[in-house]
Amino acid sequence: MLQFVLRRIAISLVVLLMGSALMFFATINAGDPLADLRESRAENREQLMQARIENMNLDLPWYQRYLTWLAGASKCLVLACDLGQASNGANINSMLVNAAGASLRLVSISVVLAIVIGIALGVLTAIRQYSGFDYTVTFAAFLFFSLPVFWAAVLLKDFGAIRFNNWIADPALSTTAMAVIALVFALLVASVLGGDIRRQAVTFLVTAAVVFGVVFAFDSVGWWRKPALGLPLIILGGLLALGFFLTMTVGLSQRKITIAGLVTVAVGIVAYFVTAPIMVDPANWWVILALIAVTVVVSGAIGWFLGGFERKTAAYVTIGTGLGFAFLVFMDRLLRNWGAFLEIKPRPISTIGSGIPEFEGTFWAEIFDWGVQLILPTIVLTVISIAGYSRYTRASMLETINQDYIRTARSKGLSDRVVYTKHALRNALIPITTIVAFDFAALLGGAVITESIFGWKGLGAMFRDGLNKVDPGPVMGYYLVAGGAAVLMNMLADIAYAFLDPRIRR
Amino acid sequence: MNDRPITPGDDRPDQDLPQEPGSGREGLSPIPAQQDKDAPQTETFSVEKQLDLSQKSYSQGQLVRRRFIRHRGAMVSLAVLIFITIFAFTSIGYGWIPGWWDKDYWRGGLNIDRGRPTLQLWPFSAGEHPFGQDNAGKDYFALTMRGTQRSLIVAFTVGLFSTILGTIIGAVAGYYRGWIESILMRITDLFIVIPALVLAAVFGKMANGGIWPLAFLLSVIGWTGLARLVRGEVLSLREREFVTAAEAIGTGSGRIIFKHILPNTIGTIIVSATLAIAATILTESALSFLGWGVRAPDTSLGLLISTYQNSFQSRPWLFWWPGMIILAIALAVNFLGDGLRDAFDPRQNRTAD
Amino acid sequence: MTTFQNDQDQIFTGSGTPLDGEEVVLSFDDVDVRFKTEFGSVHAVKGVDLRVRPGEVVALVGESGSGKSVTSMTAMRLLPRNARIGGVVNVAGKDVGRLSERTMRRLRGNDVAMVFQEPMTALNPVLTIGTQMVESMELHGVARGQAAVDRAVELLGMVGIPEPERQMAKYPHELSGGQRQRVVIAMAISCDPKVIIADEPTTALDVTVQADILDLLRSLKDKLNTGILLITHNMGVVADMADRVAVMFKGEIVERGTVEEVLLRPQHDYTKMLLGSVPRMGAGRGQMGISVREEVDETAPLAIELKNLVIEYQRLGKAPFRAVDDVSFTVRKGEIVGLVGESGSGKSTIGRCALGLIPAAGGEFRLLGEDITRMNRKQLKGLRKRIGVVFQDPAASLNPRLPIGDCIAEPMVVHGIGDRKSRQDKVYELLDAVQLPREVYNRYPHEVSGGQRQRICVARALTLDPELLVADEPTSALDVSVQARVLKIFSELQEQFGFACLFISHDLAVIDLLAHKVVVLQNGKVVEAGPREQIMENPQEEYTQRLIAAAPVPDPIEQGRRRRERHELLRAQGEEVVELHLDDPSAFRESISGEADTL
Repeated sequence: MLQFVLRRIAISLVVLLMGSALMFFATINAGDPLADLRESRAENREQLMQARIENMNLDLPWYQRYLTWLAGASKCLVLACDLGQASNGANINSMLVNAAGASLRLVSISVVLAIVIGIALGVLTAIRQYSGFDYTVTFAAFLFFSLPVFWAAVLLKDFGAIRFNNWIADPALSTTAMAVIALVFALLVASVLGGDIRRQAVTFLVTAAVVFGVVFAFDSVGWWRKPALGLPLIILGGLLALGFFLTMTVGLSQRKITIAGLVTVAVGIVAYFVTAPIMVDPANWWVILALIAVTVVVSGAIGWFLGGFERKTAAYVTIGTGLGFAFLVFMDRLLRNWGAFLEIKPRPISTIGSGIPEFEGTFWAEIFDWGVQLILPTIVLTVISIAGYSRYTRASMLETINQDYIRTARSKGLSDRVVYTKHALRNALIPITTIVAFDFAALLGGAVITESIFGWKGLGAMFRDGLNKVDPGPVMGYYLVAGGAAVLMNMLADIAYAFLDPRIRR
Repeated sequence: MNDRPITPGDDRPDQDLPQEPGSGREGLSPIPAQQDKDAPQTETFSVEKQLDLSQKSYSQGQLVRRRFIRHRGAMVSLAVLIFITIFAFTSIGYGWIPGWWDKDYWRGGLNIDRGRPTLQLWPFSAGEHPFGQDNAGKDYFALTMRGTQRSLIVAFTVGLFSTILGTIIGAVAGYYRGWIESILMRITDLFIVIPALVLAAVFGKMANGGIWPLAFLLSVIGWTGLARLVRGEVLSLREREFVTAAEAIGTGSGRIIFKHILPNTIGTIIVSATLAIAATILTESALSFLGWGVRAPDTSLGLLISTYQNSFQSRPWLFWWPGMIILAIALAVNFLGDGLRDAFDPRQNRTAD
Repeated sequence: MTTFQNDQDQIFTGSGTPLDGEEVVLSFDDVDVRFKTEFGSVHAVKGVDLRVRPGEVVALVGESGSGKSVTSMTAMRLLPRNARIGGVVNVAGKDVGRLSERTMRRLRGNDVAMVFQEPMTALNPVLTIGTQMVESMELHGVARGQAAVDRAVELLGMVGIPEPERQMAKYPHELSGGQRQRVVIAMAISCDPKVIIADEPTTALDVTVQADILDLLRSLKDKLNTGILLITHNMGVVADMADRVAVMFKGEIVERGTVEEVLLRPQHDYTKMLLGSVPRMGAGRGQMGISVREEVDETAPLAIELKNLVIEYQRLGKAPFRAVDDVSFTVRKGEIVGLVGESGSGKSTIGRCALGLIPAAGGEFRLLGEDITRMNRKQLKGLRKRIGVVFQDPAASLNPRLPIGDCIAEPMVVHGIGDRKSRQDKVYELLDAVQLPREVYNRYPHEVSGGQRQRICVARALTLDPELLVADEPTSALDVSVQARVLKIFSELQEQFGFACLFISHDLAVIDLLAHKVVVLQNGKVVEAGPREQIMENPQEEYTQRLIAAAPVPDPIEQGRRRRERHELLRAQGEEVVELHLDDPSAFRESISGEADTL
């Protein structure tokens, strides 16, 4: 295994090297770096040109320029990069650090979201093959495949940001809007849950009524500007999480595990009051992480000691329930601060820029500040990849369901739920891992477009400026980060592959 | 070595399902065996399908065509695509061939009613400027058609060239293995490392606005995906017994590749060519949007969106028309590809449930 | 509705069928299955009646498309959703058709268990043996937690898997095919089902492994008193295992009775035909009207001459794998040499080397007098003109894009022989020779069935009048009746053309029928070689003896004798006779305690 990984790393480095030569050569041949100065009528034209030639080593032949860059870049292996300077003399190292931080944050969130949502959709559409839900998702996937990103981004900027900001200033929903929301939800839930026509009709009506009621209640109490969950909703959510994990593992009939889960919820309620003083304004993310760790340990212990025969399964269930409960408590706190944030920033969703400089606020307000900048580019990037993941997962899942061992599993008397989650899903995920690596690179490419539309000062912008000025420095900086990240993702994908498939483990 | 016997008597339920005539399974339907006059007595109870020589014979290609024509989504998409293509080329003409639309895409004019579109669906009337006018009073219909032409030319050229390149390289790499294969695999690795759009951007800038150099350079990027696919198919096909049989009778490598292997990968090739076309439409318009594709004074759909993205609030039609056309072309091509995939690979076909 | 309605009085209703008052664990009453498809409805099973007592093996026999698997799947209710099922299926006294999905799930695995054909794919590749064993026991409340693990270990030990504790943590790909099938059987008996449906349980296994698995199944039903519905196409397996037999043909049971009645005194024409198509071990020549020219010219030139042949496969980062090790034998012109062995014996590798597809790593390989190990491409091409080849899989051995005429004419095109007209004439001639109508010339391979395709392959192999034919398992993928026809055509053509033949097969009975000389291979080495009579009737080596003893014959009395002889042989050779290691069935039952803690 180690040998395999080392081999992969060596190959990747060779490929990175080849790629750098190609990129460098292509970039410096993409135009005339002095074009704008040649047409300039500035007094100090000659001086400016001289300075640029100096900065970019334009007096050297191309291979010497490349080798100079390579020598500097190869110092990255010992963590002492020297990527030279841009045409205006700025240090690329420091440019890159800022830009990479901004872009990778954006792309990583999108990748994680796309994988989770895409795979979930793929599995659901495979299970509910040829249902209305399946056709809808399939059509949506095709639509998103065919959507020009830049066009969609401009649309989203208008609808998602400008109009939302107008609406949130004085939020009110018309009855028609509420009805539409309720109907869409109901259709979705009914077709995902499936069953015969009667059951679907009941699901549809119940969901529609509940959603309409909730939306109506939210609207009348001014929830949109002052949202919160409140303890009752948190407890309800915690119980739902418990039910979910129980059905996903052993079913609802295991008394000991069910009791362990209920104890976890009870402990969570106590914890809600105990941690309240800390949660008003936590100092930083470490506090949150520490609380998560405590949650895992405590709920795991509850499962382990109360779980009976299947203590391991019980611990999984209680940890899942505990984390679900903790998440709801966190969300409750976060939502409670939305009103305060609106006071600071009346038009919350930003259409441009990767951050208000020097934003000061509570822990929660900072999360919102961070979130509202990310939200639009993240949606665009996520939506593009979801389409791919859901299609691949669906195909892979359908292929797996036809395998002999699935028939064996059914013949043992396992329920559909266990057959899908325990036997089919893991096998279906194996081919997906390789797609992740490809997708990551594509997303970094897509970021070039998204960043330019949302005015995000990230890698994409750096690449764009560099290329427009025929300046290899920033372009190669972009390449190093994108290539390095892709190589890393590829390796993670390989490891995930080996983890999922025992046949290639050595 | 897999020399395990393949099992006779395997009649799992899914194999009992009959399929269309000519799929090789129709004999499983319980038609009583007819007795051949000369055949030995055993024929009566043979499980072998009787050759029905009165039935029309279908080649694989004909079967695929039939399945494709029955695919409603694909046929609608094909119609849409043909319609857009014909419209784009005949309306403003191409090169020295004049079109039937009387306005030119480069000529400005007076803005009538702030350049609003005059298109009316019911009762139908195109009006003076069906798609409206831009800020300088240019006819937006002519502009959009010009853009559509450019996008289609680039997309189909890239689709064609990258398919040819990818097929040949993939087939050679898969059949001969060895160093050709390792080079191919390294080059595909390269495309994991460099985002395709980024390389396309650099190449697009090199092309300096001309659509033919742009198409050429995009083909250079586009072939790797197909090459990988073809290589994979060739790898599995060369282990199939009919290829081994061809090798055993002394068939030359060229004949094996072109007569025995490639015809069997035609499904993959065609499907992937359509997907390449769809991808290129999007890439080209994205490049033009960013300023590295087609450049003014010529125009393309991406460039139009880029130029007028800020007039979304004031003159939304300048933004909607090109965007909708890109979407329509890409969607049609993608659905076409899906229909073709279903036609070539009936395993995933929608059976009655 | 069917062709047999008017023959109704001829159908032997069979003795031994359980009477109405008797205990049955599985019964089918007038079961009828139709599949609704886009192109109309297909009647797969037409009113089948069948009953299985506890501790009894009922064999359901038939060829492809007879509906035997579909019938059995109705008991599990696992048919695809487009199936419309009529009639009543009873499992352990419960009417399967009326159960709710929930109760049905409780029935599966608990009252009725299945053993599938492909042990390679029947187990989930990403879950350990232990996980898959424990799962169904916990599900059905047989045992939980550590108790379930202990029981799983016990079960693996019972079916004869060495070191069961260690195997629990292994994944399916780490076990051999036979061991995997044992795991599947252990899984099937884990909840002590009343009846086991075994769907072609040994078809994918080597003949010696098959004999072991059959022994295991037999002792299982004896000790646990489980009823077994055995689905198979292999008459030898039926003779070895079954108490009663039902023969299915195109969705109907055409004959039933005790195993002796059906196999020894068949009444229905189909059964007679089926039994007449099975080559029998030890019966030698002249069966099924197939004759081979016995006298071989001992002075004829050698077609194949192997001297100490070694073939190796290169492996990344490991020592090369020696697939063929120091093999020597000869094939004379006009002679058929049978190459016999089980999976991994290297028999196909030698075949491929003879075609110049795999290079030899050492030794000498002389083909028609010329040493191919030192030949270049061009010289090889000249030689290939004189060799024909037939492969195993009829589905894969013809290019699906070429019409059949082109397929057969291909060798002539490649070697530039003849013009269009003469090629067509030759193809017609060959189609006549393999008894196919000339009209198939313009048809495509997917339009004809497996046996017909295999005949086309034979025709293609003979296009250039080869001096040598390499046949690699040419009939293993065919149904017996189809196999009989292909073998007959093959033997006639051999007599007519007099080519030398390297006949590779795992089926000793077929070799016995056709070959002049037999070479037995094991793990790449020659175990024994010699004239057919000597090897088949008086084998000297232990392995050959075991191989021959393990091949079942379709005669229950004869097979019973052969089985006892095989067991004696195994004991004499110091091997163990496989059985279920269970001394006290009642203790096994009691361990299924009520310790399940459910709400």
